[in-house]
Amino acid sequence: MLVLVGLNHKSAPLAVREKLGFSEAELPLAVERLVTGDPVEEGIIVSTCNRVEVVARAKDRHAAAAAVKEFLAREHGVSLDEVDKFTYELEGSEAVRHLFRVVSGLDSMVLGEPQILGQVKRAYEVAREAGATGAVLDRLLQQGLAAAKRVRTETGISRHAVSIAFAAVELAKKIFGDLGGRSALLLGAGKMTELAARHLVSNGVSRIVVANRTYSRAAALAERFAGEAVNWDEGFAFLERVDIVVTGTAAAEPVLTKAIVQKAARARRSGPLFLIDIAVPRDVAPDVNDLDNVYLYDIDDLQGVVDSNIEERRRQAGLAAAMIEGEVASFARWRQSLDLAPTITALRDRLHGIGKAEIERFRRRLGTLSTDQRQAVEDLTRAVVQKILHNPIRHLKGCATEGSGSDVAGLYRRIFDIPDDLTPAPDGSEPAAASASPEAPGAPGPGGRDD
Amino acid sequence: MLTSSERFDAAGAPRPCGVGVGLVLLPLALIAYFNGIFLAFTAMVRRSDSPQRGAEVSFVIAWLLQVGAVAYEGVRVGYFPLTSAGDYLLVLSWIVLTLYLLVALRWRITQASLILPPLAAVMAFVALLIPARRLVLPPAQQKGWLSFHVGISVLGMGALCLAFAMALIYLMQDRALKAKRAPRVMERLPSLATCDRIGYHAVLWGFPLLTIGIATGQIVLWARHGTLWMGGPKQIFPILAWAVLAVLLYARLVRGFRGRKSAYLTIAGFALGLLTVLGMTR
Repeated sequence: MLVLVGLNHKSAPLAVREKLGFSEAELPLAVERLVTGDPVEEGIIVSTCNRVEVVARAKDRHAAAAAVKEFLAREHGVSLDEVDKFTYELEGSEAVRHLFRVVSGLDSMVLGEPQILGQVKRAYEVAREAGATGAVLDRLLQQGLAAAKRVRTETGISRHAVSIAFAAVELAKKIFGDLGGRSALLLGAGKMTELAARHLVSNGVSRIVVANRTYSRAAALAERFAGEAVNWDEGFAFLERVDIVVTGTAAAEPVLTKAIVQKAARARRSGPLFLIDIAVPRDVAPDVNDLDNVYLYDIDDLQGVVDSNIEERRRQAGLAAAMIEGEVASFARWRQSLDLAPTITALRDRLHGIGKAEIERFRRRLGTLSTDQRQAVEDLTRAVVQKILHNPIRHLKGCATEGSGSDVAGLYRRIFDIPDDLTPAPDGSEPAAASASPEAPGAPGPGGRDD
Repeated sequence: MLTSSERFDAAGAPRPCGVGVGLVLLPLALIAYFNGIFLAFTAMVRRSDSPQRGAEVSFVIAWLLQVGAVAYEGVRVGYFPLTSAGDYLLVLSWIVLTLYLLVALRWRITQASLILPPLAAVMAFVALLIPARRLVLPPAQQKGWLSFHVGISVLGMGALCLAFAMALIYLMQDRALKAKRAPRVMERLPSLATCDRIGYHAVLWGFPLLTIGIATGQIVLWARHGTLWMGGPKQIFPILAWAVLAVLLYARLVRGFRGRKSAYLTIAGFALGLLTVLGMTR
């Protein structure tokens, strides 16, 4: 049984998330400790600043969930009550669905944010290297990561910028195409202009000019981008030469009026000018946007873009959720096919056993047989049994894909008188691998790895 | 296949006959066009990629069918079929579609799907409809200045069609950016810089072709009629279009002039060029 115990930005405040999180350095040992204990056979820990998710597989779900909670309490030295209070507990398909939604960014604070995919990937690598995953979690994680990639490429859930700075970069790309080799002028040397500049530079803008009323601050900021600092008054001359202007001064009145920008725009020979005004009150007069080849976005405009992008992501989330349902169902089918393996094995053993017993019974009547003849009789019996088994097994596997596998398996057991206390399949053994006699209970070793 | 009596008149010259030959190929191409345009429209409305792919496949099929139509006509008359207005439109339509496939497949400018293929389809449709008035040319004239003149002109006009499409997309993107409300519209449109670059290069190629086209046209006129001025749309509009493009390029090269007004000028140049084609069909 799979269980997932977790806490996220909805279930727990930051202070608790900090306390219950695992740093990257702690993670390998922690995940090893998770699966060393008794009930947990496979485990993985995903820990980011917004969430901790522990997925575990064990025979008994109650024991597993309790063990994971105890593990969290023990690891972080907090009381079990506190862990109980802030965590959620999911099992079976619910757990699978939650994990798949997490990886795809559907459960993220910023809907569709792509970082979580990398973080889960990393967590999986750590768990695998620590020997904490087996066939079930391997399959679960591989399918989850593949599903998340599909969600990302086939829906627009991660496509549009949902931060002001990213929205500005996206707009700049719609104007200039590639930002490589473009230049930007920063008017004002505050935090916001710096953030915007950082995004521009990381997207290819190669030249930064900073103008500030206090020159020293301009110089300090320019240095960070290997740019150029100029006096406030000189800054305006660059309007004719740069491609992008970011304004973020504390001025009460617009510093760039229509007249100033118009004059600069006339003198420009290098195509459009993109003005990003992130100051409140605004630094650029709104009517500047009426000028040809000049595109002005103030903080409200950018917020509007962000809002409509978030709206779009929500729409896409519906699509993504449907895709994930498909993946959850496909994982459940795989699990079911595993559950059927022991029944199939037992069924084969039973019928072949009957065949062998009958050969023994008839031995005397058959008289002395040559080796060849004996072989022929055995082959004949086996072939008959095989033929009889063929359709029932195919039918059973078909039922597994439709979800009614366990009912049909029960029916078969009654018909062929196979004992019900048959060992549940050690999770994770492939049907093909389970062709020998029913395996002994508790086969997996302490590492939780199934063979 | 036409029998020899259908193909030649009593004097043995090719029968005056229109594009009618593409009787099967051209209508099929038009069906492919309409299918593609419908799919491209669906792709735009539903903002989905798969209909767009279907549209592109349709346009490739239309392209092949049209190659077939032109080739068939060429084989039938024995030289490159570019002597009637119908021929001209058919070849121009094919060039426009070729340029479309180039920008759509090479630069993924899918928005052009609703501009260039419809334009090409209309041209092909008109080519099918207009009365067949093929000039019966003595073989000496089938090659030489006239073919050269028409060939160059049709290439120039093709470039102008591409420039027009890019100018239109530029204006759409410009409006979307100015209006600040439609990231979803913007999303599918190429950047202003891309539109500008492709459109500019199209004009840069189209202008000299148009210049040579007009000059050779004068030579043909002189050779056939002994005059340099016959008036009429066929002569006036190319000169107007040429003048508009000259202004556009001058402003761009000397003054660094670009953007929305450039786009308007490009569209004006294209419209004047198109009037020439209409003049031809009279």
